[in-house]
Amino acid sequence: MCSKYSQLLLFIVCCNIVVAAVFSCTSKEHKKATKSDQYFVQGKVLYEVNCSNCHQKNGTGLGRLYPPIAKSDFLDNHFEEVICLIKNGKEGELIVNGTQYNMAMKGITKLTDLEIAEIVTYIYNAWGGQREAVEVKEVSSVLAGCSK
Amino acid sequence: MRYIIFFPFALFLCNCATKEKPLPIFGERNIDGQDTVYHTIAHFEFVNQDSAIVTNSTFENKIYVTDFFFTSCRSICPIMKTQMLRVYDTIKNKSDVLILSHTIDPEYDTVPLLHDFAERLGVESKKWHFVTGVKDSIYKIAQTSYFATALEDKTEPDGFIHSGAFLLVDKEGRIRGKYDGTKEEDVNRLIADIERLEAEYVQ
Repeated sequence: MCSKYSQLLLFIVCCNIVVAAVFSCTSKEHKKATKSDQYFVQGKVLYEVNCSNCHQKNGTGLGRLYPPIAKSDFLDNHFEEVICLIKNGKEGELIVNGTQYNMAMKGITKLTDLEIAEIVTYIYNAWGGQREAVEVKEVSSVLAGCSK
Repeated sequence: MRYIIFFPFALFLCNCATKEKPLPIFGERNIDGQDTVYHTIAHFEFVNQDSAIVTNSTFENKIYVTDFFFTSCRSICPIMKTQMLRVYDTIKNKSDVLILSHTIDPEYDTVPLLHDFAERLGVESKKWHFVTGVKDSIYKIAQTSYFATALEDKTEPDGFIHSGAFLLVDKEGRIRGKYDGTKEEDVNRLIADIERLEAEYVQ
């Protein structure tokens, strides 16, 4: 009798452990996906306020004046520099997808590290790109190392 | 039977569409004897991206679209240029329509800079003039001839206040339309109005 009970108890405990493990795992994934979605949505709003006048809402840029952000080899190869130039601006020649650009961009110093993380998450995922949500602490550490 | 009833209506609609009202004429008007004298664009003389002198006579017998901007502006100017590029695409093969963009920051926007800007935008200087000149003359013509706002203001983030207006000027130098150059729908209206204005000159 007693052993039957203890067996049942053991079974319930085991089940709970498995369920908890599975649940905690999916919840972690879920949390990550939610964060990514949230950053993407916020990033879109911020992009349209701060960037799209020049780079266009669809990220194509304009002529040889403003370089594209969508499908841009510069974004693919210069992740950290992208974070730096959003905050600090950029001057001089820039080659994007084989085309030379030379319009100075002033930095948007008012943006917080969180806002930059959101914008970067958006531009790296909006136009066919795939990248996990960019963490605020990652932005902060990149910004600390920007050459001014 | 129904079709027969609708048919006269359809005819009526077609008739209306072909007889459009002429575009309005902006500004004050005076009666001089038998004639009405309309507000026209005052005399101007600027320099374009190829260092060529641009005056009223550059636009003699031409319809033109004009605006005020500066190249280092990040707020409304890039949107205006995106929209003006749409206008350019529709008029580039029309022999009687031109575009005139005035910089309101002539100290920074020099001839070589405007040349580079136009070239990077991918437009031809004989169709789209980017002009610079004496700052006060540019501000004055903006305010008194085109009824557009253009002012220096150090408290603004980019240093200037200006309207995002596009003005449509006819072959007599009269303003025939004013549009918000930052709004796609308004620029669609401008593109349609250019056709209407051209039609006024076809007898």
